Amino acid sequence: MSDHEKTGGLATNRRRFLQLTGAAGLGLAVPFNLANVRLAHAAGGQLRVRVGSDISILDPALIFQIENQTVAGHVYNGLVKYDQATNAIVPDLAKEWEVSEDGKTYTFHLHEGINFHKGYGALKASDVKFSFDRVRAEATGSRYKGQFASIENVAAPDDKTVVITLKGANSGFLHKVCAFNQGWIVSEKAVTEKGEGYKLDPIGTGPFVFDSWTAGSSVRMVANPDYFEGAPKVDEVVLRIIKDETASAIALENGEIDIAFAIQQPEVIDRLKAANGVTMLSREANNTVNLVLNTTIKPMDDVRVRRAIIHALNRKGLIDGFFKGTKAEAYSVLTPTFQEYTENVPKYDYDPDKARALLKEAGAEGFEFEIVTVALNPYDKFPVPMADDLNAVGIKTSIRVLERGAYVQARASGKVKSCITAVVGPPDPDSPLVTLFSTASFPPGLNTSQYGEVDDLLQAASAEQDLETRKGLYEKIAQKTMEDVPVVPIFADRLFMAHSDKVQGLVQNSLFTVNTYSVSLTG
Amino acid sequence: MTYYLSRTLLQLAVTIFGIVTVAFFLMRAIPGDPALYMLGDFATEASLQALRARLGLDLPVWQQYLLFVERAVTGDLGRSVVTGQPALKEMLAALPWSLSLAVAGLLVAVVTGVPLGILSAIKRGTWVDVTIMFIALLGISFPVFWVGLAAILIFSHELGLFPALGASTQQGFWVQAHHLVLPAVVLGLSVAAYIARLTRSAMLEVLGQDYIRVARAMGVPEKRIFFRLALRNALIPILAVIGVTFAWSLGNAILVEVVFSRPGLGSTVLKAILARDYQLVQAGVLILAAGVVLINVTLDLLYGVIDPRVRQG
Repeated sequence: MSDHEKTGGLATNRRRFLQLTGAAGLGLAVPFNLANVRLAHAAGGQLRVRVGSDISILDPALIFQIENQTVAGHVYNGLVKYDQATNAIVPDLAKEWEVSEDGKTYTFHLHEGINFHKGYGALKASDVKFSFDRVRAEATGSRYKGQFASIENVAAPDDKTVVITLKGANSGFLHKVCAFNQGWIVSEKAVTEKGEGYKLDPIGTGPFVFDSWTAGSSVRMVANPDYFEGAPKVDEVVLRIIKDETASAIALENGEIDIAFAIQQPEVIDRLKAANGVTMLSREANNTVNLVLNTTIKPMDDVRVRRAIIHALNRKGLIDGFFKGTKAEAYSVLTPTFQEYTENVPKYDYDPDKARALLKEAGAEGFEFEIVTVALNPYDKFPVPMADDLNAVGIKTSIRVLERGAYVQARASGKVKSCITAVVGPPDPDSPLVTLFSTASFPPGLNTSQYGEVDDLLQAASAEQDLETRKGLYEKIAQKTMEDVPVVPIFADRLFMAHSDKVQGLVQNSLFTVNTYSVSLTG
Repeated sequence: MTYYLSRTLLQLAVTIFGIVTVAFFLMRAIPGDPALYMLGDFATEASLQALRARLGLDLPVWQQYLLFVERAVTGDLGRSVVTGQPALKEMLAALPWSLSLAVAGLLVAVVTGVPLGILSAIKRGTWVDVTIMFIALLGISFPVFWVGLAAILIFSHELGLFPALGASTQQGFWVQAHHLVLPAVVLGLSVAAYIARLTRSAMLEVLGQDYIRVARAMGVPEKRIFFRLALRNALIPILAVIGVTFAWSLGNAILVEVVFSRPGLGSTVLKAILARDYQLVQAGVLILAAGVVLINVTLDLLYGVIDPRVRQG
């Protein structure tokens, strides 16, 4: 039902109109508030969430973009999932699992009585096998194939048991089958039947059923009354595509939407913090935004030059001044949202004199440097103060702003001197570290620095079964990479999302998505 | 007339074909690779090659072009490389949104621009004329997205008269019309300024003609001179500019669509360009080009109705 939108929108408009005309006519504030007269919604209702871009592919093997992931998070489940608040790995489709002593075999036991949406039948272990094998198959062309590189074999000995054999022990393996991207389970029957059409007609087991997509406008999902953890509290969720952040803030204040997700601009954040009837949520994201230095181009092959660059950058000033405190300091490319996070790494203060001295020592004074960045706010803006800092110590810095398609191509060529890169993903340390530092991620991957000094450590960390030892290995990786500085972490990203006071029970995650399963509407 | 019509239709086909061809090669000339867009950060060279082969992007551009033309003449514009949907279907779904905005915007533009231009011409040199032309200059100078945001702030946030979003997720004519008012006014006023200026100069030019002087000398009432004699003859250049501004407003509509979160051809084509979704861009350009060319042909025919000399020429 869509009456929620109607009553909400019109009542608010009428109220404000009466207030303004009344106040103008009488010189008084209107003594009553029509909002209070509105019919309260005891339960259900339509929840309207702002997203910043249109959706595209909803097939987990091919999915990308936070908007698509947000839809998928409502429609699909994984074997396990991240707790929204703590990022701990908790049961999802699998009620329990065992790991063999050698750490190579994972046996998952599925919940009973889970059904796919739209009459696609009961979830079977063979659907899980199908989902994972599909991502692993070359023909699928999945961007997540590498995430399953550790898998030797997936078997479904009976309908409720999934056995995954690994090539070697891998203590971080549960991250790979977590409910995110490659970990989402699809219906074999639906994928086979729908073919190309499956990309925009997802069939999962999740709390919401995908209903419709109006290109450029909205996505509608309806509650799954048979959801195995209980039906959602709202009847339907509509994702509204609102590109402009100011417009989305006004729409939230007007009552045209209930949740404004993915707010970035400091001005809009300030505005919504001050708005009546609006609550602002904020938490660390799982990613840092980095300046990746190409270590194959002179003089950046000299570690002293890379250290000079990091010393020359006033990163704290950027966070306070440019971002008005809406971002956090980063000490390595792992953020505090990771269980493997550590601050025990070499730190580099803002020290222009030291930067000059290092450059002199390396004989690299006055070298020409270029920051390549993408033409998206704020990525095309904050390199400007960074270039000022670098110029101040005698590094002749220019900025090249490229439209996204051209930017991705330039970065993938591996020939840019430096570029701005963020690796957005789940709190799986393998994800940012392998992506940024492994020789397996040499261009066209994201290891634009072409750094290759931590391959052994990355390998050892993922094979390690003892959690404490593993944590120690990740600490070593953080230390080594901050010693060598192939990547300068500029800031740790923070996520902001605002909701009206009608919204109850919303938990903000650090995955760059919004999940409304726990949300109810009042009033 | 038949000759005129068939010649016009032939020109129409050639023009559209030319535009789509230019768009085809331009899209492929700009840097950026659809395969890289889809596989993104984790792409390996092998998977990139495989995807390019699957999308037919590994063929030489001229072969891709021949394939495109071969399919396009049968009405098959391919599928969006990103969503897998038929490109034409996805674009046609956006068409009603764009048409309703463009028509409503044009209505606002004509209803405000033409009378203001006439008034300005009648009151030439007076403060009324100066004021109207000053406002028109402001209208031309302010960027549409800025006016859009200001309109949202004033009429949606402060006064609460209209929604901030230019489209509703609900069905129904009145609901959608309520959402359409602000975007249409913002788009319309940006075009109205041009129309007002042109109406004024067209009127003034006609008013300077000998036959108007003769009419005046013969004592024809001023009202009759303005609305019967001058306006009819000033209509041709006004119509021409309305045609041009209609096409121009389709372009401007992208900004209006973004500010007011409205779906439409403009924002869909923009999304497709950014994603290097070649098929979708081609379908969008085809529809936009056909729209603009059709408007111009319709106007050409209208000139003939208004002014018989055009028909004979």
